[in-house]
Amino acid sequence: MGQQLNMEQVFQKLGDLKSFFVFGQKVVPVIQKIIDFMRDVVPLLENVNNSIHDSTSKIPKAATQIKNVTNANEIATSEILDIVDSMSLDLTKIRTELADLKNGFFSQRVALEKFGSEFKNLNGQFDALKSGMSIDELENKVTSLESIVDKIGNDSTNITISLQVQDITAQQLASVNHLIQSVQKRLASLLFDLGKQSGVSIPEFDIEEENKDKSFNEDARYDRSQEKQVFVDSIVNENKKTSQEEIDKLFAR
Amino acid sequence: MALKFLVVDDSVTMRRIVANSLKTIGYDAFVEAGDGREALSKLSGDDSINFIITDWNMPDVSGLELVKSIRSNDKLCKIPILMVTTRGLKDDIVEALQAKVNNYIVKPFTPQILREKIDQILASA
Repeated sequence: MGQQLNMEQVFQKLGDLKSFFVFGQKVVPVIQKIIDFMRDVVPLLENVNNSIHDSTSKIPKAATQIKNVTNANEIATSEILDIVDSMSLDLTKIRTELADLKNGFFSQRVALEKFGSEFKNLNGQFDALKSGMSIDELENKVTSLESIVDKIGNDSTNITISLQVQDITAQQLASVNHLIQSVQKRLASLLFDLGKQSGVSIPEFDIEEENKDKSFNEDARYDRSQEKQVFVDSIVNENKKTSQEEIDKLFAR
Repeated sequence: MALKFLVVDDSVTMRRIVANSLKTIGYDAFVEAGDGREALSKLSGDDSINFIITDWNMPDVSGLELVKSIRSNDKLCKIPILMVTTRGLKDDIVEALQAKVNNYIVKPFTPQILREKIDQILASA
C-alpha cells in the first residue's frame, strides 16, 4: 500500500517535471529573445550615454561662442557709433562754416548796396559787378548744401536708432544661451545618474554664469514701427487717468 | 533748472545711444551706470542728478528694483524716472507704473520720443 502511494507520488512529480519542461520549452525562446534584446540594447544605451556626454561637453563651447558673437557685435556697434559720432562732429563744423558763408553773403550784399548808393554814376557797371558776384546763386547753393547736411544728420540719427538692434539681439542671444544652459543642466543631471553606474566624468556646469545671464528679456523684438510705443502710451495714459480720478475722488470727499 | 541725467543700462551700446540721443535733443549733462547697484552708488554720491533714465533687464539689481529702491528712499524719491526697455507687454508696463516710474519708452526709440517723454515728465512735475 505504502509502495503504491510512493509510486503515485513519483508519477505525479514526473508529471510536474514534464509540465515544467513543457513550460520551459515555451519560455526558453522568450528568454532568448530577451537576451537578444539586451544584447542589442546595451550598446545602444552606451551609445546614448556617450552622445549625452559628448553633447553636454559641447554645450559650454556653444554658449561661449554665442557670447563671443554678442561681444563681437558690441565691439562692431561701438566702432560704428564712433564713426557716427565723428560724422556728427564734422557735420556740426560744416553747419558752422555754411552759416559763416551765409553771414558773409549778407555782409557782401550790405557792402554792395552801400557802394551802389555812394557811387551812382557807374553807367551800369554796378549792376554788372553785382551780377558777376553771383551772391544769390552762391547763397542758394549754400542753402542746398545745408539741406544735404541736414539729411546726412537725419541719416546718422537713423543709423543710431538702428544700432539699438545690437542690444535687442544681445538679449535674444542671452535667451538662447539660457535655454542651452538649461538643457545642459538636465543632461548633466542625467549623466550624473548614469555616471553613478559607469563612473563617467560629468562636465562642470557654471551656475553663476547662468544667473548672470538672466538679465535679458526673452521677448525682445526689433520693431521700428511706432505701434509698440503707441500701445505703451495708451496704458500709461489710462493709468494716469485712473490715478487722477482717484485723487479727484479723495478731494471730493 | 539744468538737468543732469543718470543713464542706467548694462549695455554699453545702449548707454551711448541714450547719451547721443540726449545730446541730439540738447542735453549734455549725464553720468552712466551699468546696473541698479552702480546707479544707487552714483546717486548717493552725486546730489546734482535730477533725472534718471533706466533699462529694466540688468544683472544684479534690475531697473524695476532700482525704481523701488529710489521710491522708498526719502532723499531720492522725487527724482523723475523714465524706463527705457524692450519689455512691451501690458503686465510689464503696469508693473513699472505701479513701482512709480514717471513714463515708459519701448526700444527701439527715437530722440524725438525721448524728448517727448522728458518734456511730458517735466511738464507734470
